Amino acid sequence: MSEIMISLRDIKKTYRSMGDEVQALRSVTLDIEKGESVSVMGHSGSGKSTLLSIIGALNPPTSGIIEIDGIDIYKLSQEKRADFRREYLGFVFQQFQLIPYLTAHENVMLPLTTTKRSNKEKREMAEEVLHRVGLANKMKRLPNQLSGGEQERVAIARAIVNEPPLILADEPTGSLDTKTGDEIMELFQQLNQEGLTVLMVTHNPDNTRYMSRTIMMKDGKLSSDEEDIMSAITDKRK
Amino acid sequence: MNIFQIALNNLKRRKIKMLFLMLGLVVGVATVVAVLNIIEAMHLDLGDRIDEFGANAIILPGTEGMEMHYGNATVSDLTFDVQQLTMEDIPKIFSSSVAEYINIVSPKLVGAVEAGEQNSLIVGIEPRQEFMQKPWFSLAQQADIEQGETVGDLALLDIPQDGLVLGASAAEALKVQVGDQLMINNKPFGVFGILNKLGSEEDGLIYANLTVVQDLLNRPGELSMIEVSAYCNSCPIEEVAMGLDEALPNGRTIPMRQAALFREETIDQFSAFGIALSGVVLLIAALVVLTTMLSSINERTREIGIFRAIGFRRTHIIKIIFLEAAMISVLGGIAGYFLGSLTARYAGPYLAQIQGDIPLQLQLLLPAILLSTGLAILASAYPALKAARLDPAEALRFI
Repeated sequence: MSEIMISLRDIKKTYRSMGDEVQALRSVTLDIEKGESVSVMGHSGSGKSTLLSIIGALNPPTSGIIEIDGIDIYKLSQEKRADFRREYLGFVFQQFQLIPYLTAHENVMLPLTTTKRSNKEKREMAEEVLHRVGLANKMKRLPNQLSGGEQERVAIARAIVNEPPLILADEPTGSLDTKTGDEIMELFQQLNQEGLTVLMVTHNPDNTRYMSRTIMMKDGKLSSDEEDIMSAITDKRK
Repeated sequence: MNIFQIALNNLKRRKIKMLFLMLGLVVGVATVVAVLNIIEAMHLDLGDRIDEFGANAIILPGTEGMEMHYGNATVSDLTFDVQQLTMEDIPKIFSSSVAEYINIVSPKLVGAVEAGEQNSLIVGIEPRQEFMQKPWFSLAQQADIEQGETVGDLALLDIPQDGLVLGASAAEALKVQVGDQLMINNKPFGVFGILNKLGSEEDGLIYANLTVVQDLLNRPGELSMIEVSAYCNSCPIEEVAMGLDEALPNGRTIPMRQAALFREETIDQFSAFGIALSGVVLLIAALVVLTTMLSSINERTREIGIFRAIGFRRTHIIKIIFLEAAMISVLGGIAGYFLGSLTARYAGPYLAQIQGDIPLQLQLLLPAILLSTGLAILASAYPALKAARLDPAEALRFI
């Protein structure tokens, strides 16, 4: 029997803005198994990013329970939650989000900065993952000296350097050309095959080909309707 | 890779902003260091300068005396058993237990004479000693100088044996000019110089050489008083007075603290002003740090969001901000120390009217660095807390 990596139970999220209430998530219940790769699709404002930030232990839900690897993350204190993010999650943000004044090597080492490993160990771990994403020869470069695809690889290397069991990616191919986007998706697929659970928010239906499951979001809810998913994929491909 | 390197790299990236921040600290620390340097130099200078403020001890002939009070009025002093001060007492001062603190000794004899057709007070002095002790005395007119030549410095002039120096009021009352002849007790004297008006009783006096006046008054070797300039940093003038009393049993020494007090008051006023000024400058420096740090935090919202998202605790963020502030402020403290020391060295003599060099006070270096660091950390506390409290979801625009 497979184990559950992410368990969402009746998750609701309401934002209050200028006296108005906006329901970003309306009772989302979802299980994602360990080793799964799931893409979340949906139109802008459908609640995909909110869902990702809640799973990413960055944004407490208004109600509902979320467990990652059996840990009720919002019962943890702020600081413990930061530790949790460091140990359990690898984030790949939209537009790479690399630190501009750090080299590729230093950017990858960032999640290790606050761990108790030796400097030598940190350097070696970062070098190893950069090698793995094909950037062994560009480690000393600053982000602005790298192409979009290379920056994305650095961002992925940063997400996996700490060997987290879960990768959360937000539009990882959004600012890449098709060829580079495909290469990045192959990298995600490879990571998933190595045992990592991958959850990816994407607008690009082509990316769903690399994932084992696709979830559709509509108006803050999961849409179980297969047609919805297929039409979204076909619409986007047109 | 550690938090220190993150802070250092960020400083390198924001050179201009960080230089501006450091400049604020440099100016703040430099002001404090300069003020402290100048105050210290003023204290040191006090000993050297005391002679310029006149005598601070007067030795008078010893007397036994009584004051008679009638109601609220003092009717008169009843003095008896008046002793004599003589020229022989001068060497005793220089061999006293307090000799090392004695700067200038100016003996004088005061007496009433008939000048022209009026009664006047004449003071016998040793001119160089007297006028060195009272540098505010200056000549308005001097006899025997060429057209266009300026009057000489009194402290460097000798009054001729048959010459007189008149106070401004005395010259006016006696209706004499420099070069005129004036009969004193039927002996002819030439008016060698006339003093500038001082606005004090001294304007009405006639000055001549001490030995001449002693002869004139028929009181050879006798003195009315001896004015002494004495000062030491480590002992109060009262102790000097006691030393002089011991050396001169026939005299009584009256300590005059006014001169030292006046200078000390000047130093106190400068200190108060300097400290207030330093306070204002430090406050401005703190505000510069605060605003620069806040603007830096605002620019780095997303970056801080990333740090938080990948597992940096709030305390790590605070550490980064404080480390940046500390690195800048240590440099600022060192630069401020040197700038303040140089300012004191070159501007201090003009600002505080100090003669001589203001030495570098190395012992201020560490306090300067601590002041700069303390100020920067204090002013960075709010920006650091603000950064730590940033909502990572909001910073990364998930919301």
